[in-house]
Amino acid sequence: MSGPDAMHDEMPGFFPGRPGGEHDEPLLDMLLERRPIPPGAPPELHDLARMLAAAAGPAEPGDLVGEDAARAAFTRPPSPAGASPAAPRSARHRLTERPARGRLPLAAALAMAAAGLGSATAAYVGALPSPIQHLAHVVIGAPPPPSGAPGQPLGVGSSPAASPSQVSSPAPRKTLRVSATPTSSKPGNWLWNSANPRYSPKPSYASCHPAPGPTQHQAHPSPAPSPTPTPSPAHFSPSPSSASLGTGQNPGQPLAAQDPESPRPSASSLAPSPSGTTCPGVPG
Amino acid sequence: MIGAAFGETLAHAKAGDEAAFTLLFRDVQPALLRYLRLIAPDAEDVAGDTWLQVVGGLGRFRGEEQEFRAWLFTIARHRAADSGRSRARRPAVPLDLTEAEQLLTSPDTADQALEAVSTRKVLALIASLPGDQAEIIMLRVVAGLEAREVARIVGKSPGAVRVAAHRGLRKLAGMAGLPATERASTRPGVTR
Repeated sequence: MSGPDAMHDEMPGFFPGRPGGEHDEPLLDMLLERRPIPPGAPPELHDLARMLAAAAGPAEPGDLVGEDAARAAFTRPPSPAGASPAAPRSARHRLTERPARGRLPLAAALAMAAAGLGSATAAYVGALPSPIQHLAHVVIGAPPPPSGAPGQPLGVGSSPAASPSQVSSPAPRKTLRVSATPTSSKPGNWLWNSANPRYSPKPSYASCHPAPGPTQHQAHPSPAPSPTPTPSPAHFSPSPSSASLGTGQNPGQPLAAQDPESPRPSASSLAPSPSGTTCPGVPG
Repeated sequence: MIGAAFGETLAHAKAGDEAAFTLLFRDVQPALLRYLRLIAPDAEDVAGDTWLQVVGGLGRFRGEEQEFRAWLFTIARHRAADSGRSRARRPAVPLDLTEAEQLLTSPDTADQALEAVSTRKVLALIASLPGDQAEIIMLRVVAGLEAREVARIVGKSPGAVRVAAHRGLRKLAGMAGLPATERASTRPGVTR
């Protein structure tokens, strides 16, 4: 191919009008080796030499980016397996995964908080089923479930019609264990003890006497009232005060809030409620 | 190039001298980045990976400055290939007009090519060459490697490397000697 419109490298010579283009190879080799070309070389070659010198010129702004990272890698102790090209990638991977990993507990906590708020709202509105409403009544002071509702938890006597046979229902005992004594579920636990008077089928124990277990005596060295061997149904208190675990205090308060120094109610808290329940052996 | 002091500098760097390592870094990094910008879009990331591997293997390296540069650019090329494979698995947004194309089609930059020869513009012109020619010219001229070292890096014979370099230089001289409008219409095109 020839002619004035052809590319220079498609012509026989390197430079236009210069035959025998392959003869320029020694000069091109000199350029590649960054050696100075003879002053008599074609001007195009001198231009090319300037271009290549500029390409290999001194560092410009931005040519030294990454120096801090490289120095940090140099000063870091080497890993036992040596540097691996996968190492920086895995490090980047960890960096990108870390926030995602941290979001999961946050999302779970937010979901639990939302569920708790919803449940509390429903409890205060009174829209929960009776057993759950009762639990909310005991724990957070929500309104008690309506009287005579089916499935009414027992041992708390919010309904005056509660019969002693209902007191022995195991469901509220388990519920109370969770809500009143969260730190202990040992058999000696005041609320968990099967001899717990409040869950005893004998109603006179229910509102007046704590269980005489050894754990309770250790935890509460104050003189405990002696249990009455002959229970009387008359001693069972169906009053709202006994419904709040018989503490004789504000029924809307959880147990832990009523006795902040001890997670378990003391014997004095089993004293007769303001409703006038008589408790044999307990000084009025 | 560090020259005669390279051996001592390398020995200090191997012993943990941060200043010696910094000297090595500053000597090679500009050429490394210019080369990587030609073959990898994420040149700075690839350069970082390259230096991490260099740091890890520096204690085991034996050789002079030419061998050190050849080793470093070999690592860089491999890391760029890894990056390219990783990039190929991800969707890419094509660029309508590369920087080299903008340079070549811009009439006001045409006459500046030789008058105010800047490194950036020359690198853009080299980048407009066919890929193998551009890479070989960069390794020969910018990285300062011998033909046999370049041949080993790119996987060609030394003779093929020489021929490709000569062709690239001729095209480069042709582009430099043409007005901008002719350059834009007759250039072979950007291969990447």
